[in-house]
Amino acid sequence: MRLELEDVHHVYAPGTRFEVPALRGVSLAVEPGEVLAVVGGTGSGKSTLAQHLNLLLKPTRGRLLVDGEDARGMKLGELRRRVGLVFQFPEAQLFESSVRRDVAFAPRRLGLGEDAVGERVRQALAELEISHLADRSPFSLSGGERRRAAIAGVLAMDPEVLVLDEPTAGLDPFARAELLGLVRRFRERGRSVVLISHDLDEVAEVADRVCVLERGRVRALGTPEEVFYANPALAPATVRVMAALGRAEAGRPVRFADTLQALKELLEG
Amino acid sequence: MLGRGLGQFYPAESPVHRLDPRAKIVAAGAIVAGLFLVDSMAGFLVIGGAVVAALVVSRVPVGSFLRAMRPVLFILVITSLFQILFYRRGELIFGWGWIQVYTGGVELAAFLALRLALLISATTLLTATTSPLALADGLEDLLSPLSRLRFPAHELAMMMSIALRFIPTLSSEAEKVMKAQAARGAEFSEGGLLRRARALVPVLVPLTIGAFKRADELAEAMESRGYRGGAGRTRYRELRFRPPDAAVLALAVAAVAGGALV
Ligand SMILES: Nc1ncnc2c1ncn2[C@@H]1O[C@H](COP(=O)(O)OP(=O)(O)OP(=O)(O)O)[C@@H](O)[C@H]1O
Ligand SMILES: [Mg+2]
Repeated sequence: MRLELEDVHHVYAPGTRFEVPALRGVSLAVEPGEVLAVVGGTGSGKSTLAQHLNLLLKPTRGRLLVDGEDARGMKLGELRRRVGLVFQFPEAQLFESSVRRDVAFAPRRLGLGEDAVGERVRQALAELEISHLADRSPFSLSGGERRRAAIAGVLAMDPEVLVLDEPTAGLDPFARAELLGLVRRFRERGRSVVLISHDLDEVAEVADRVCVLERGRVRALGTPEEVFYANPALAPATVRVMAALGRAEAGRPVRFADTLQALKELLEG
Repeated sequence: MLGRGLGQFYPAESPVHRLDPRAKIVAAGAIVAGLFLVDSMAGFLVIGGAVVAALVVSRVPVGSFLRAMRPVLFILVITSLFQILFYRRGELIFGWGWIQVYTGGVELAAFLALRLALLISATTLLTATTSPLALADGLEDLLSPLSRLRFPAHELAMMMSIALRFIPTLSSEAEKVMKAQAARGAEFSEGGLLRRARALVPVLVPLTIGAFKRADELAEAMESRGYRGGAGRTRYRELRFRPPDAAVLALAVAAVAGGALV
């Protein structure tokens, strides 16, 4: 599934004193099978952009294309199933008496049979490694466990595109690494992930492409090498180290392992 | 999320905004009471004139004022319609099958509509020109004589200002949770009444839990800063009753008296 935003503008509270132009002409595609990272300062419009990918917010101007077709022609429920959106701090959406029942909410809404629902729930819980919490109340869990339960609730819809709005904010390093593992596994199945993040180091590890938003506009878009080496001051530690060394023969590594390898080769050669 | 709905404060620089909240509360109360005493067109004109004059002086844009009235418009239309159709005194002015309209019904409907509209206008004007904090302060002060009778005036005012303070927070929270559930396939505008009510469960549960959590945190924050109720508490902003406040109060009472008598 390919999603494309075409010159999307979004204004909050138009025509009032509180008018905020949050997106100002964003054009961007999410290709099948890629991890697209969206980075940018607070208030740059990342969450607003995320909500346009399943039309929870409608563009004030511009449109969303799904596999080349205008998404306004699609059923909203269908679009929202295929594009799974995990909100910023999703733990606030849990409401059922047990994790299992909460994760079952979305597949039930899809009208699946009991067996199919059970299977979806089992898979989603296993994917997030919280199968042992299935019968606990969501409100008795720790913050990180609740976050994972909420993500499982979206995964249970079996979406083709997964949009994660700052999923690792406030998680411990271990939980963070696990979540990035989930992102990679999702991509390996040929599906795409839109990862909104403030953490450039984690973006460097998993992203195929990076989009930098600034005050509602796309400031840069490209592979991590292109984007980060164009402005090493605003780049992950790996890029800053390589840029500071200024050794062109080392190439332009971005991931930690690649950087380490390049440094080893420099030292030995 | 911001700046909409009944009872929103509209910050501006105007003589009405600067009035002592106590004067405004009493004046609005007098007008509301007066509306139930008035039973002539001339009387409504007097009180309506006073309200419109206050609106003009207050610099609250008429547009946002009318928007605040919109939710009540429906009730207003329905009740007026009932009066027109079913009140059968005076002369018959229109008859068609079971539909019979009498002058008495039209008059009653007009009075009812005017009464409701002016009632809402007066109270909306009060909340639009008085910040929630000033409103709570004024109310506390007006109720304070009752605290001798163990009426919890301060606590009531504090509860009111906290509730007002958290309305925007709660409504933006509700919006967020609704969107998050919609992303999981929830539908809020589909099916009959029962189905719609059931669809709200996934929104109300997290919202309620969030509200309790926030209340806990607020209580802890207040206690840790030494809040111990109203006794012996001084104010940062002292209320001052000045000559213009007295003048406005006198005018409001005069309008009500005039309206009731003509
Ligand atoms: N519901 C809303 N009503 C009005 N304005 C809003 C609303 N949501 C966001 N905004 C405004 O739109 C702009 C973009 O907000 P958005 O939430 O998309 O930013 P963000 O990049 O996700 O920020 P963060 O990193 O803090 O999550 C901000 O200026 C914000 O104040
Ligand atoms: Mg955000």
